Amino acid sequence: MGAFEELVARHRDKLYARAFSMMRNEEEAIDLSQEAWVKGWQRLSQFQGESSFGTWMTRIVINLCLDQLRKQKRQRSESIEAMEEESGGVERQMPVITVNPTAGLERTELRQRIDKALSQLSHEHRTVIVLHEFEEMEYKEIAKTMGCSIGTVMSRLFYARRKMAALLVDLKKQE
Amino acid sequence: MDMESQLKLQAFLDGELPESEAREVANLVARDKEAAALLAELRNTRQALAGFETVLPLPESREVFWSKVQREIERQEARQPAEAHRPSLLAQWRRFIISAGAIAAVILVALIGVGPLGSGPSSTEAESAMADPGAFTYRDYSAQATLVWLSYPAENEIADGDTPDTLQ
Repeated sequence: MGAFEELVARHRDKLYARAFSMMRNEEEAIDLSQEAWVKGWQRLSQFQGESSFGTWMTRIVINLCLDQLRKQKRQRSESIEAMEEESGGVERQMPVITVNPTAGLERTELRQRIDKALSQLSHEHRTVIVLHEFEEMEYKEIAKTMGCSIGTVMSRLFYARRKMAALLVDLKKQE
Repeated sequence: MDMESQLKLQAFLDGELPESEAREVANLVARDKEAAALLAELRNTRQALAGFETVLPLPESREVFWSKVQREIERQEARQPAEAHRPSLLAQWRRFIISAGAIAAVILVALIGVGPLGSGPSSTEAESAMADPGAFTYRDYSAQATLVWLSYPAENEIADGDTPDTLQ
C-alpha cells in the first residue's frame, strides 16, 4: 500500500481540481476525490496501462462527479431557467461577439476571469467545457461519458462557449 | 444561419467534420461574414480556455487525506469478506429444494407405511424410499415406529462448495 500512497500524493491535487471544476464545492470535491482513490485501489487490477495512471484516475473521478450531479439534478425541481439553460436560452439570440474579451490580459487575470465565468455556467454546460477543453475529449467520448447523444454534446458545447464569451465580455466591462 | 450550420461551424473548429463537409464549411466561412464572425468568436473562447484551468491544491495535508483514504479502503475490505461468506442465491435455492424434498420423502414414507401397518406384520424392515435416494427408513411394526434418516450434505458443505456469486 506504500506505493499506492505515493501515487495518491502525486496525483491528489489534479484529481481534486477536476472534481472541484465540476462540482464547484470544496467539500464535495474532497469527498469525491477521496472516493475516487478508494475505487482506484479496488480496481487497480483493471488498470491496463492504455492511458497514464493519472488519466485513468481522472476518468474515475469524472464519473463519480457525473453520478453525483445526476443525483442532485433529480432532487432539484425543474425550473424554467434550468430548461432555458439546457436548450440555450438567451444564447440562441445572442449577437456575435466581435472583440476578443481576453486579449491583452495577464495570465493570472485571465485564469481568474475564466474561473469566474465557468462558475456561472450550469453543471451541464460546465461539464462539457471541462471535458472538451481541459480533458481534451472528442465529442463521441464526451457523449459516452455523459450518457447523451453526440448532438446534445455539440449543442451544449456551443451554448456553453457562447455563454462563456458573453460572461468574459461582461467581466471586461466591469474593469 | 440555422442551428445545424452553427453546430457544423463548431465541429469544423474542433476538427470533428469529415473532409468533404469541412470543405463545405470552409467555403461558407469564406463567403458569409456572419459565419466567419461566429467562427472567430468560438475560436477566441476556445483559445482563452486552452491551458487556463485554475489548478487548486487539495486543501488537506498529504497525511490527513491519505489516512482518510486508507481508513475507507480498510473499512470496505473488512466488509467484503463478510459479504463473501453470505450464502449465494443458488445455495439458498438448493437448501430450499433439499428441505422440501426431505419433507416430501417423509410424507411419502408415511403414506406407504399405512398399508403394512394395517395388515399387522410384526417384523422390522429397513428400506430406501423410492422417491428420494437420500432418505433411509427403519420401521419397527411391533413398536409401531418409523424412523427416517436423511443423508443430505450439511448446509455449510453446500455453501462452501458453491462459488459465491455476490463477491466483487
